Amino acid sequence: MDDSTKRILQRLIRRIPSQMLQTMLGKWAHLSREDLHSLDFTQPKWVLTEQLLALCEENGLRVKHITELEMIYIIENPNQGMWHGFQLLDAEEDAPSIELTQFKKQFKANLTELISNVSIKIKKHTDEAIWIRVAWGDNFTKPNHLKPTYVVHHLQTPYVFVTGLTSKYKPLLNQALVLATRYGSMKDAHLSGRNLTAIRDLLMRQYQQVFPTKNPKPLQEKNPVPRNPNIEKEHAENTENRLQMACEAFGDGTLPQLQKAVYKLETKFRDNSNKTLTDREEPFRGVVEFASTNLLESLRHCVSSGMASTPVTPLLSSITQKGRNYFVITDKGV
Amino acid sequence: MLVGYNVLSNLKIYISRGVLGHLKMLEMEANNLELKQQELRQRGRQEELNANLQALLSKRDQLKAEIKANTSLQKMRTLLDQTGVPYERNEDVDNLEDGSDNSQLLLMMARHTQLKDLLHAHHLIGGYDVLQTRKGKGVCVSLATAYEGVYLETYNLEIDLGSNLRICRHNIPPFIPLERLVTQGNMQTDIRDFLDTLSQYLNAYAGRKQQLHLTKEIHSSVQVAESNALCTILVLMFTIPGEKAEAALCTLQYADHTQRLPTRVNIESEDTALVSSPQWKKNQALLLETPLHTALVTMKKTGSIA
Repeated sequence: MDDSTKRILQRLIRRIPSQMLQTMLGKWAHLSREDLHSLDFTQPKWVLTEQLLALCEENGLRVKHITELEMIYIIENPNQGMWHGFQLLDAEEDAPSIELTQFKKQFKANLTELISNVSIKIKKHTDEAIWIRVAWGDNFTKPNHLKPTYVVHHLQTPYVFVTGLTSKYKPLLNQALVLATRYGSMKDAHLSGRNLTAIRDLLMRQYQQVFPTKNPKPLQEKNPVPRNPNIEKEHAENTENRLQMACEAFGDGTLPQLQKAVYKLETKFRDNSNKTLTDREEPFRGVVEFASTNLLESLRHCVSSGMASTPVTPLLSSITQKGRNYFVITDKGV
Repeated sequence: MLVGYNVLSNLKIYISRGVLGHLKMLEMEANNLELKQQELRQRGRQEELNANLQALLSKRDQLKAEIKANTSLQKMRTLLDQTGVPYERNEDVDNLEDGSDNSQLLLMMARHTQLKDLLHAHHLIGGYDVLQTRKGKGVCVSLATAYEGVYLETYNLEIDLGSNLRICRHNIPPFIPLERLVTQGNMQTDIRDFLDTLSQYLNAYAGRKQQLHLTKEIHSSVQVAESNALCTILVLMFTIPGEKAEAALCTLQYADHTQRLPTRVNIESEDTALVSSPQWKKNQALLLETPLHTALVTMKKTGSIA
């Protein structure tokens, strides 16, 4: 194994937490059972790394095997790094009937045509998601396996999720994806976060949405704050209305875990007490950022407890309804 | 001495008259007050009763008017039902209309109740249901899906009733081509057509998904090698009973997304002779014509698969 391969393996082992290492290696299935048994997972990581390096050399494993291990690890733990959502537009006639082998062939052919030195790995996960790992090189260098791009796509849906993509290679990836999926173009969905499952659930609407029904079941607050029963009785109808509106805007049950919502303002400053700023002609540029460990959960609680006024302002409900968390607000609207 | 006596007696009378008189005066005043209060109370009671009377009278008039309106509404409604063409004008209905605002309104109300009953009936048979939201500015359509008599998921669409109908939110999965159905089905002009087509797609998808689910549950010997989210491509692996226990790969393609049955069935195996036998040709035809899980039951019975 040459030095760069060794470095890749070292980096990867360092990245995988010790508790998961054994299961990952088991799934990888490139080391025999005796080899795996010979490894003592209670030892410190650097010792393990040396042993693994030796084992891989013995078995003649190469870069493509190591990248397989990395892919297995990332598929099992996708909620790291920054994921960005993209939407495919203008479907052609045969877009809904694309099947896996067709897509794989087309994508590989397209991308290798656009850029010669590139390493592509495509894997289909059990939940019908296609995972693509791309390591980029150019005419003179080999593919850089230390900075790969991962792409997740569900067939027959117009959504693509990408992490680790630099702006240099973005148009190439776009083109390859658009051609392989038989769509017209791809645009930024303005939705990003660390949690892939969250942004996927939000864009593909896989969380529990609430709609007005004829016989509304009374929605229950999960952790009711102990309050005065007389006051509660007076406010019962209002509380129910607020809860219904909060759930209609954001969803019921467990919500996708978004961490941030960013509103970029480009509106004119309007405050009568500050004449200097109000008189300026150019728009006042400001950025409002909401951050939380679980943003949608906190927003829903704000509405249901009365902290935010109802009906829910479309600025907040657009996060779930449009499936994005980056908005630019001008005087004409969002 | 007489003067003194007079003065004294006057004084006595004056004093006695003063106190007694005073008391008498007070008594008279009290009596007067009592009388006045009684009068006031009576008057108050009378006014109250009068007011009650007026309220009850007006309520009775109101109820009478309501009864009258309802009976004419019922008459109009039975007439509409009898004519059997609820959405178009016809002569009988025109005759009932005497051009006045009242009868126009009555006609509208009768049609409204007819539509509501029709929608309720539609909802009961498992079709879609429409609900008004946001004080009439929007509607929410609930599309129910069912397969083999079992209710499955319900999908919802919230439509904004502006000058142009616009879907503002929905929970339809992204692999159902909603935008294409909106433009092709002409949602603006013929919403029933659009909803019917959408319901067809959703029910077909729910049916295919349920078939796959039942297959996985009932037939554990059959392995699912490949499937996709829209359930339009399915690759199954059968084990053929025999000494060699060979495997057969069956590919089912559902090219028509509004149908629950496959359009193409391909069976491959290493044992090509077996696959081209008449028994397996029958199996291929069976898979094209019956739902997957029932077809597999038959195939197991005839011994084609383990």
